[in-house]
Amino acid sequence: MGVTPDLRVSLGRLTLPNPVMVAAGAFGYGLEYRDLVDIAQLGAIVTRSLTLAPRMGNPPPRVVETPAGMLNAIGLQNDGVDAFLLEILPQLRSYGVPIIASIAGETVEEYTHVASKIDRAEGVAAVELNLSCPNQARGGMEFGIEATLTAQVVSAVRQATTLPLIVKLSPNAGDLVSIAAAAVEAGADALCLVNTFPGVAVDARERRFRLATKVGGLSGPAIKPIAQYHLWRVHQALPEVPLIGVGGISSAEDALEYILLGAHAVQIGTANYIHPTLALEVIEGIRRYLSEHGFDSVEALRGALLDS
Amino acid sequence: MQRYEVAATVVEHQRRAPNQYELILHAPPIAQTAMPGQFVMLRPLPTHAPLWRRPYSILRANPDKGVFSVFYSVQGTFTELLSLKPIGSTVQALGPLGSYFQPVRTAKRHILVAGGTGAPPLCFLAARLAPTLQPDERLWFLIGARRSDLLVGVDEFRALGAEVRIATDDGSRGYKGYVTDLLQQALEEPIPSAVYACGPNPMLQVVSRVCRERGVPCQISVDAPMPCGIGVCLGCAVKVALPEGGVWYKRACAEGPVFRAEEVIWE
Ligand SMILES: Cc1cc2nc3c(=O)[nH]c(=O)nc-3n(C[C@H](O)[C@H](O)[C@H](O)COP(=O)(O)O)c2cc1C
Ligand code: FES
Repeated sequence: MGVTPDLRVSLGRLTLPNPVMVAAGAFGYGLEYRDLVDIAQLGAIVTRSLTLAPRMGNPPPRVVETPAGMLNAIGLQNDGVDAFLLEILPQLRSYGVPIIASIAGETVEEYTHVASKIDRAEGVAAVELNLSCPNQARGGMEFGIEATLTAQVVSAVRQATTLPLIVKLSPNAGDLVSIAAAAVEAGADALCLVNTFPGVAVDARERRFRLATKVGGLSGPAIKPIAQYHLWRVHQALPEVPLIGVGGISSAEDALEYILLGAHAVQIGTANYIHPTLALEVIEGIRRYLSEHGFDSVEALRGALLDS
Repeated sequence: MQRYEVAATVVEHQRRAPNQYELILHAPPIAQTAMPGQFVMLRPLPTHAPLWRRPYSILRANPDKGVFSVFYSVQGTFTELLSLKPIGSTVQALGPLGSYFQPVRTAKRHILVAGGTGAPPLCFLAARLAPTLQPDERLWFLIGARRSDLLVGVDEFRALGAEVRIATDDGSRGYKGYVTDLLQQALEEPIPSAVYACGPNPMLQVVSRVCRERGVPCQISVDAPMPCGIGVCLGCAVKVALPEGGVWYKRACAEGPVFRAEEVIWE
């Protein structure tokens, strides 16, 4: 009792003031919540995924609520990386909160082009690669679904920026561990897992799919056990690699579970929509837990699951 | 515009029709700043299912008493949880959110058109608009519903001195047919008018077309699924024509829910 825990965490070269980030797509470009949330307190803000040109996204309906979760098919709507760098970043960096730029593309060249633009900008702490994107050259198959493709895009982006590189894995991959290993081999500093799981929802009365694109990505509390399973497996296979756990976090306890399973840090996605100040409460909850249980740092708790 | 996240205290569930209630909430910051057409995101309990908050248009706001109200009908788990909140308990409320109706000051007749559950924001608009009208300005209320027991706001509008016209699908009250037919008829009269509409999207599409054909300015409050209500998730996309040309998806919760009718592209 009574220790003042150190909440700082290091993911390779990237040091964050605390382990609680807001996930890509869950916090807009970073400024949207500033009247409701003290954004300077966050471990980091991950931007919505940025592409080279503005993207309009998919037709509506793009979202549907499901039991303890939701499906989305936003289709990477964003104003493009230049608009972010010009109009948002200068304001955002004045808050002093670490900014992680999530990037996406339909070709390897698009990824590297976006990454190099971010590399030249001032005030970005790291780049996060969203590999759950349709690959034009492969008929729309996701980049992150295959080890060779993953390695190809990761090493290309690695050449394009000196910033710490986080690779966000898609759970659609047949064998997540081999994708994870390929990403690290190709130069990832840390891995983030997972993105949304594919799913559909049907309206029986209307006999229609509920999303215009039919298939969407499942997120929210419903995915937590599967997301935690993937994180734990990858941690066991690659114990030295810094991992960021994401999927279904809606309380400090959920976040602590990820840390116990081996995560260095966590991200909160869907729950932000419902509870905008949740991330701040999770930070406070982690601090209280560490202090009450006599852990002097997040690192001391990480992976500290008892075996029996 | 400042938005507030507050624990709003339940003052009363006022029964308005079978299964339909006006929920009065005490939340001064929201009550004092809300404009007609704006909405709040409510969460009766921190449940995982239902997961999302739900948007509710503001029906009434009393800045002096610090209260505002919304209208709900009990159908499904969410509204059941809402209906079970005891007086004195709290509901998480985020608001006021979104754009609002802007009275067209050149119009001599303000026609408020409600379909289905679209009446609440128009009741709020009428309450704010009525005291500001010049002697030569008139307020009209056209409302359509499936059955007479689903009509909302008729008495309120009458009390404000509005010309009220009713349509029901089954003819149980007023004209048998669509509220959009009533609008067509109303616009036959050559009075400079402005239209403010809220209801199901197919109705809004017809209202928009009718107004465009006659060159009548029209504002519509659109419906979209809303996971966040505060402009972050981009789930509530509405296709719009941009002034500089081209099309884009805007957010029903941020640039909307009230749009100029000519902006919205229906598919
Ligand atoms: C509406 C929505 C938009 C998202 N947009 C992105 C995105 O642009 N880039 C990305 O890497 N992940 C995106 N995600 C995935 C989240 O970052 C996160 O990985 C996923 O939702 C699981 O976490 P959660 O259960 O806490 O939401 C999005 C998720 C949602 C629900
Ligand atoms: S509901 Fe999330 S952006 Fe509108």
